[in-house]
Amino acid sequence: MPDSNNNRINILVKGIGVSGGVAIGQAVLVERLTSELAPRWIINAEDVPREVQRFEEAVETAVDRLKTIKNHIQPQHPLGNHTYILDTHILLLQDRMFYEGTKKYIASELVNAEWAVAEVVGKITATFDTIEDEYLKERARDIYFVGERVMRNLMGLSSQTKIHQMPPNSIIISHDLSPADTAQIKRESVLAFAIDMGGRTSHTAIMARSLKIPAVTGLENISHRIQAGDKIVVDGSTGVVIVHPDPDTIFRYRERQEIYRKYQESLMTFGRLPAVTRDGSHPVRIAANIEFVDEIEMAVNHGSEGIGLFRTEYLFMGRQDLPSEDEQYEAYRQVIAYNAPSPVTIRTLDAGADKIATSLNVAPESNPALGMRAIRLCLGHPDLFKTQLRAVLRAAAHGNCRIMLPMISCLTELLAAKEIIEEVKSELAAAGKQFQPKVKLGLLLEVPSAVAIADLLAKEVDFFSIGTNDLIQYALAIDRVNEHVNYLYDTLHPAVLRMIRHVSRVGEARGIPVGMCGEMAGDPVNVPILLGLGFADLSMNPLAIPMVKKLIRSVSMDECLELTRQAFEMSEARPIHEFLEAWLRERFPYDYFLDYAGAAA
Amino acid sequence: MTCDGEVHEKTMTIGNQLGLHARVATMMVQAMRNFSCHVTVVKDGVEVDAKSVLGLLLLAATPGSQILVRAQGPDSVKAIEEIRRLVEHQEPNAN
Repeated sequence: MPDSNNNRINILVKGIGVSGGVAIGQAVLVERLTSELAPRWIINAEDVPREVQRFEEAVETAVDRLKTIKNHIQPQHPLGNHTYILDTHILLLQDRMFYEGTKKYIASELVNAEWAVAEVVGKITATFDTIEDEYLKERARDIYFVGERVMRNLMGLSSQTKIHQMPPNSIIISHDLSPADTAQIKRESVLAFAIDMGGRTSHTAIMARSLKIPAVTGLENISHRIQAGDKIVVDGSTGVVIVHPDPDTIFRYRERQEIYRKYQESLMTFGRLPAVTRDGSHPVRIAANIEFVDEIEMAVNHGSEGIGLFRTEYLFMGRQDLPSEDEQYEAYRQVIAYNAPSPVTIRTLDAGADKIATSLNVAPESNPALGMRAIRLCLGHPDLFKTQLRAVLRAAAHGNCRIMLPMISCLTELLAAKEIIEEVKSELAAAGKQFQPKVKLGLLLEVPSAVAIADLLAKEVDFFSIGTNDLIQYALAIDRVNEHVNYLYDTLHPAVLRMIRHVSRVGEARGIPVGMCGEMAGDPVNVPILLGLGFADLSMNPLAIPMVKKLIRSVSMDECLELTRQAFEMSEARPIHEFLEAWLRERFPYDYFLDYAGAAA
Repeated sequence: MTCDGEVHEKTMTIGNQLGLHARVATMMVQAMRNFSCHVTVVKDGVEVDAKSVLGLLLLAATPGSQILVRAQGPDSVKAIEEIRRLVEHQEPNAN
């Protein structure tokens, strides 16, 4: 049955289901070469000439490029003396071991050009590793750079084209995917992801959910166990991946796929209903977190009332230059106008950490999560910040818009940002531009220090929104994409619950609304506690909305207050989690089984 | 394709500080492309094409090590002399 030399069937691998649904398709291996992707797939014998030609052209382009670079360096240039290294790279590109070796690999292994380049470069660099001389050993870097240059050409990265098209029915298998990688994936050909790294709250998981693509993460070494072209089943609800499924298994999963589809359909009816507790005492505004303009329709279809988090950094990603004011204005205007009169909360650029936009030329940092990112980056590059603010303030004239600042850690940063916002307003007024001067300003509370001084910050803003993903990461000192420690990442850690309660109380005392836009808000297990703490403004991944609305409509405030009281009496995350999950399982057995069991495992 | 003629060989010592490094290997390949003869470099029993920069680098010929240059073809003697000039030359600030 299976077409690889591995003759076992129905190999079951268990990971964490992070985005529901079932997919049956063909494995495509994606490896990261520096920041980019090297897609891998199997080709037919008749495609060999085409792949070889793609490779030859990619090398030719690389050689031409190196020659151009070299010719532009003047003899008096500081580099003038070292241009020989460009000659070395040209010779490496033309070297038989690399050039003929790659072509031979394509033909003998029947793989695409990118895969062949990655393999051949890998083999050559491995040989260099055996050299003892440190200087000569370092030359492995040169062949690596050369390979990378060819890879970029193959994948069309120097032009604006996105990642090379995947064959239809692809299931992406990878060690890790950055949000930038994920952002470039084409939805029409990709059915699912199965990833070694990451947990439920990694950005890949978040994006898989917003792309509505089934995904399983935390599979440890699946990228080594699966070969390109293998038939696989991915069940994003239970976190199960099956390699080489037999016809029986495929039949069962086709059935499950159908059940899942029908369930989703039935759930959708809740999206259209208001989110108010059964006793009618506590109405909740449910908004959507989005990253792309084209998600607005989907968000509304799933029942969102406005956008609680528009992640603007995706406008900055996957490109060389920075988006212009007009380009940004157009994106914001579309989202704001579409949702009017419901509010749209625009988060100013939150680039940095694992989301860095290449166009910003940020120097590599040893600890990007604690580095130059978000508001720090914006205050450090006022032009960049002002361009975005101009676009937002102009777009705000088309509906109900709020500005939200990410990563604020002290009052000084907030005051500096406010000053820039006022400057931009004066400039827009002086230029006679149409804009909305009374845009509400809020903070994304995600740094523990900001939570601690919430009372001091509250005086300066109109609203708070708690960004739980980063807040938990910073408060618990856990990198949520580190597979060795992310088991410690728990939304229901007593410390997290206490921080959230604190912010909620400050908001009440100071009279400013407190919302939540982290993943925590969209996970049904947390919702009773959030209601119990008084939250009336939740923003989440659009796909989570129907289930959260269903839950809110089924519970009473008394029930939520009682669950909250009991949870606050417990002193460890796990018992709290188990307690709330048991409650969820009992109250919503069908939903729990279909959409939640795997995700919570 | 094969070059006719006598096989010439010469043993030489790597003179510059960094060994048969990228710059020398590059210069060697560029120079050898002007010769029609077949030239190889042997070190510790490993024989590589003198027109392959990867091959030359992978020889890991460190300063002071000995290599054997073997050439076959019409301009063999000149090719070997060119290589000797390149590897025995002591470059003070080679990179």
